[in-house]
Amino acid sequence: MRVPSNQNYTAWRGSIPVGSLYTVGLAGQMFLEALKEKGEILGSPCKKCDKVYVPTSIFCESCFAELKEHKPVKSEGKVVSFTLCHYDIDGNVLNPPRIAAAVRLDGATSVLIHDGLGEPSKWEIGARVKVKLATNREGSILDIEGFELI
Amino acid sequence: MKEPKLGTALSSEDFKKKRVFTTSYKPKAEYAWDTGFAIGHYLEGLKEGKLLARSCKKCGRILIPPRAFCELCFRPTDDWIELEHTGTINTFSLCYITWDMRKLTDPVIPSVIEIDGATEGCGIMHMIGGVDPKAIQVGMKVEAVWKPADEREGSITDIKHWRPIL
Repeated sequence: MRVPSNQNYTAWRGSIPVGSLYTVGLAGQMFLEALKEKGEILGSPCKKCDKVYVPTSIFCESCFAELKEHKPVKSEGKVVSFTLCHYDIDGNVLNPPRIAAAVRLDGATSVLIHDGLGEPSKWEIGARVKVKLATNREGSILDIEGFELI
Repeated sequence: MKEPKLGTALSSEDFKKKRVFTTSYKPKAEYAWDTGFAIGHYLEGLKEGKLLARSCKKCGRILIPPRAFCELCFRPTDDWIELEHTGTINTFSLCYITWDMRKLTDPVIPSVIEIDGATEGCGIMHMIGGVDPKAIQVGMKVEAVWKPADEREGSITDIKHWRPIL
């Protein structure tokens, strides 16, 4: 059959209204409270596995033990990896690119993902960075503005 | 034996008083659904105030909404046919709640309407309106109430609703 193409209504457009409200959970609550109130980065050590989780966790991913003690790690650390993002989530071009950084803070064994700050060309794996806190903190991961090169 | 942990229950107070930290997100969930040629022409027809169906010469059925192929004969359908703007209520429901769970005082009345001229059992879903909900019955004759021509946009809502023929 020859399919006629002389039609005006080839696509039906719309948008789906979906929204989410995510609760941060017990571990997230501790982490964000410490961040908001004290400007500290809280971690959860597991002595048995010799690991320190950042952000906090209520259990050890390796041995499944409950983690009850939580203490701050340093606000400085080392770049483990980073990506230059030239597009945002909706496909818009970002110029300069946004830096997505994975940083292992001193005292932590896991990495924390956040924005890298400053000139992208100066970023390299192994570079020393420190946490830059936001001026107004309200209990969100955005209370950290990002990592800046030392 | 140790009691298993059952999670942490939160009340709406916990949210209102900001006792728990939350993050909310609204994704930009846009879509473009390809109408295909049958529904594309159907929508064009609606804009012009016409109800368009497709016929299958082999089984003799007249299909609305129109399809590009006959699902019984597995062959392409043949011709466009313009139908009357009247039909019969096949089934209906009184809905006192919207799809996003808002309560309604006056019900909306989705219905399956068999269109006159189409094969029996062949019809469209649409709203019944302009009538006391208690008076509606299966088998009732109804007619389309169209939007004014300049407000029609090639959408099934170009028909406002269907009202009983008194």
